Amino acid sequence: MKKTRREFVKMLGGTAVATSAMLATHGEAKAQATKTAKGVPSEPVKIGLLPVLTGVAGVPGLAGQRAAEIWLEQANATGGILGRKVEFYQEEETSPKDTVEKFRKLTLQNKVDVISGGISTAVGLALGPVAEELGQLWLSWDATTQKGVEETMPQTKYSFRSVDNEMEAVGGGIMTAKHFPNIKTVAGINNDYSYGRDCWDTYKAVLTHFKPNVKFVLDLWPKLGETEFSSHIASIKKANPDLLFSSFWSGDTTIFFKQAAGVNLFQKMKACFCTGGGVHDTLKKDFTPPGMILGYNSFYFKWTDSWPLMKWFVNKYYTKYKEYPSYEADHAYYTLQAYKAAVEKCYAISGAWPTKEQVAAALTGIQVPSVSGYRGYTEDNRMECLFFQGITTHKNPYNFVTIDPVEIMPASQIMKPAGTKLYDWIKSWKS
Amino acid sequence: MGTDIINILFSGIFHASTLFLVAAGLQVVFGVQRIFNMACGSFYALGAYVGVFFVKTAHAAGLPPALSLIPLIAAGFFLFFIGPIIERGLLRFVYDRDETFQLLLTFAVVLMLEDVIKFIWGTSPQSTSELYLVYGQITWFGAVLPVYNLIVIASSLFIAVLIGYMLARTRFGKIIRATVDNREASEALGINMKVVYAKVFTLGTVLGTMGGALVIPSTAAMTEMGVELIVMAFAVVVIGGLGSMKGAFFGAMVVGILRSIAIATYPEVELLVIYLIVIGVLVFRPEGLFGGSRA
Amino acid sequence: MAYVHMKNPKLWVFLAVTLFLLIMPRLGSQYLSYLLLTFLGYAVALLGVNLLFGIAGLLSFGHALFFALGAYMVAFLTTKFGVLHMEAILLIAIVAGVLLGAAIGAVCVRYIKIYFGLLTLAFGMLFYSFLLKFYYFTGGDEGMRVLRPYLLGMDLSAVPKMQFLLGKYYYYALAALAVASFAMWRIVSSPFGLCLMAIRDNPEKANYLGIDVRRYRWYAFIISGGYTAAGGVLLAPVLGQVDPTLTYWTHSGTLVFMILLGGFNTFFGPMLGAFLYIFLQDTVMSLIPYWRFVFGAMLAFIVIVAPGGVAGVIGSLWKKEAARDSARNNADPGSERSA
Repeated sequence: MKKTRREFVKMLGGTAVATSAMLATHGEAKAQATKTAKGVPSEPVKIGLLPVLTGVAGVPGLAGQRAAEIWLEQANATGGILGRKVEFYQEEETSPKDTVEKFRKLTLQNKVDVISGGISTAVGLALGPVAEELGQLWLSWDATTQKGVEETMPQTKYSFRSVDNEMEAVGGGIMTAKHFPNIKTVAGINNDYSYGRDCWDTYKAVLTHFKPNVKFVLDLWPKLGETEFSSHIASIKKANPDLLFSSFWSGDTTIFFKQAAGVNLFQKMKACFCTGGGVHDTLKKDFTPPGMILGYNSFYFKWTDSWPLMKWFVNKYYTKYKEYPSYEADHAYYTLQAYKAAVEKCYAISGAWPTKEQVAAALTGIQVPSVSGYRGYTEDNRMECLFFQGITTHKNPYNFVTIDPVEIMPASQIMKPAGTKLYDWIKSWKS
Repeated sequence: MGTDIINILFSGIFHASTLFLVAAGLQVVFGVQRIFNMACGSFYALGAYVGVFFVKTAHAAGLPPALSLIPLIAAGFFLFFIGPIIERGLLRFVYDRDETFQLLLTFAVVLMLEDVIKFIWGTSPQSTSELYLVYGQITWFGAVLPVYNLIVIASSLFIAVLIGYMLARTRFGKIIRATVDNREASEALGINMKVVYAKVFTLGTVLGTMGGALVIPSTAAMTEMGVELIVMAFAVVVIGGLGSMKGAFFGAMVVGILRSIAIATYPEVELLVIYLIVIGVLVFRPEGLFGGSRA
Repeated sequence: MAYVHMKNPKLWVFLAVTLFLLIMPRLGSQYLSYLLLTFLGYAVALLGVNLLFGIAGLLSFGHALFFALGAYMVAFLTTKFGVLHMEAILLIAIVAGVLLGAAIGAVCVRYIKIYFGLLTLAFGMLFYSFLLKFYYFTGGDEGMRVLRPYLLGMDLSAVPKMQFLLGKYYYYALAALAVASFAMWRIVSSPFGLCLMAIRDNPEKANYLGIDVRRYRWYAFIISGGYTAAGGVLLAPVLGQVDPTLTYWTHSGTLVFMILLGGFNTFFGPMLGAFLYIFLQDTVMSLIPYWRFVFGAMLAFIVIVAPGGVAGVIGSLWKKEAARDSARNNADPGSERSA
């Protein structure tokens, strides 16, 4: 409980600083719409963008890229960063080896000021040491899990990591214990790679903490990008659990629900899809059941009407792309917004364009308004944000499912604090 | 218990049907032209993407969902023109070259088609909605089976029978079998190889695109699906025997059902088992189940 | 006259290239020199792959397996076994490549052409599944870290990474490439190499002449395994992190593409191919997002029009030049030009 209070106070303080900084620079930016601020170079700011655009990760990657472009348009329309125009240098994230090369290229050849991007875990683990070695600011969108990071990036100066990806499994476990307290048996179907494995292990640990008698009767491991689940579904039917857990986050979620609906898998079975919200607008009502837990990571497109930034963003995104944004859009937007805010913060103090080291120092502990709400970086350079999970419902004006009620879980509640180990932290919970 | 067995078998057969459609195109081309067409997976992908497009357009124009099979089949046939383009435009220049060069040329086609798909449809997955479930389900001994899956299985069987009939009874089929057995003799007998090759390759193309279009309602079209599929198709034809249609059929069954059983009993080994079988077959019986003898 | 005239250009080219390779890290941009560094690793690997493809006539669609093997060996030895001496790592990795090559080769060389290609592809993907599945051992999809090795006994961990990579490590790798090339040159020009070429051109005749076709192919496979693994070793410290995509079948396809691009018929062709591929890919990728299409078209063009690759094209141009020269000389013996 102490933690949340400290967190809350910090958030207030951060809000105050951010708000005043934003008000100050907003005024300044308005006055100098075309002229750069004093003491600031006049060439454009170069931002490197590294979205994934192919394969399964291309789904969130594309959302992130689109959000980045919307941010770019908006930023340049309101005077750029301290009056400097912003330019993107984009390279595609592909395999770790090739992405490392592109990262170096952006740094050494294009000489970008900051690189925003990185979704796949393997790529993230490869990029971290390179960022540190080159002294390049790197704001990751979504890449890390707890295990490998401890080895390769214990204390980073220039790399700013994403949220611990097991957060959604933690949230899912809490949600399951709260909304489905009577389940006795659980099965899991997860992608056969680090994220899938870590989510399943985390979910089991959390659920066991609340309900020690739950039995885990089956775990399945289709490869990432699998498109044919009929055999897996047959196997789940055979095991007949009360609830099915999955950490699917891309196109396979939609396919799975389609094929499951074909055989009435969820007639009685409950489900917890802790990250399925990533493809939420493809989860059509005609095959996605109501009454199951669905997690949207950091962005649920209509959790409130009173956050103008979100309303504006969702409208803009939908108008342009005829789709609703997902969490990666929020991550991408946030990193760019955080960079801008950090630069402005430094400028407010020093009166000159900051070095990468200064920006890095300003980013630590920062809080900025993003499209999902307020979010920031912790003291050890990890993202923190709100996570949205809820129970699916068909009662909405769309042809896909939404969630109601919506549970909002802040990072302080479901992300392990700096320096702790995940399972020790879970064991230490009082309730 | 019986329900479980039915579910496992049925899902295995469904997967086998999708594999068969990809593999069939591969087999017919290899059997006649001795070219292992790596792009068969890409044809399948093209069929899937175009299938989604045709269905969406048809729905928007008012076609009732129950008739959606029509635009799907149309999509498969529509793409036949890819066959002659690739065959006349690229492959025919390497017929007299080493097999390995032909293989590499098909690899080049894979690369090109990957970006063609990306160019036309972007990178978001494409899928149909309100189609898969429109035919409902049947219940058999407690097992719930989507009717659409039955349609796919039936279509594969129908295509297999059709091909079998064509090979055995029609003139074109006889030409194909003759060429497979002895190319020089066939040529000596006055068969125009150029025409045969063009036709066969087109047939192989349509088998692939048809497969993609038919299966798409149950899944989604995603980038790189062509590259991934090739590995499975390759396993099927090796096990069944390169060049043999029967081989495609039984190879697909083996892979589909074995995979289903593995998932139901020991899911960890799912993918490894397939590769081990492939290597085992290549080592102990390289002709596969039904292939002729060759080295 | 014509004879002397021909020799000089080749020698000059060779010297120019060597000079270029030696001074590039000093003068060129950091990023381009870094790309050159990746070229060195691929060049060594391709020496091995081409022994199999160009010399012995066997197309392997799974050789990225050995490349990944070498790279993973570096990761394993530096992080899990504390072996940091580059020389020891190279030795162990090459031995591993040789042993695995012997095992896999024994199975594969019984078949030729398509079957050989498919079998090698299967083995490559089997290794891929293995690397993914046994994640406690191999790190799964996340891969493994590579620590900085000691070069010739020197502990250089205090040196900043880019300086290390573009300084001592570059020249180390360059030296390794020189040694590897020399060794391969000897192999190719030896009776063994000639036997392989005979087998490639006409296996029945070679068999008739008493050459044990299968055994020689097996030897070629083994040597290529060791070389390709060595290439992977050289690339690993540059990457810093190794992962299973290094052995995916499309990476094997890339290796073959490089050889074809440069020219499988000449000794330096594959190296030229690696160089061209790396720099072309970099250029094309920054121009359009549909680089795969461009490269696919390039590959198709090479296969259909210029299967000898760039080296082949240069070679035939040279021959035309030489023919013209000698024709000119012969037509006008009175005015002999000095070479």
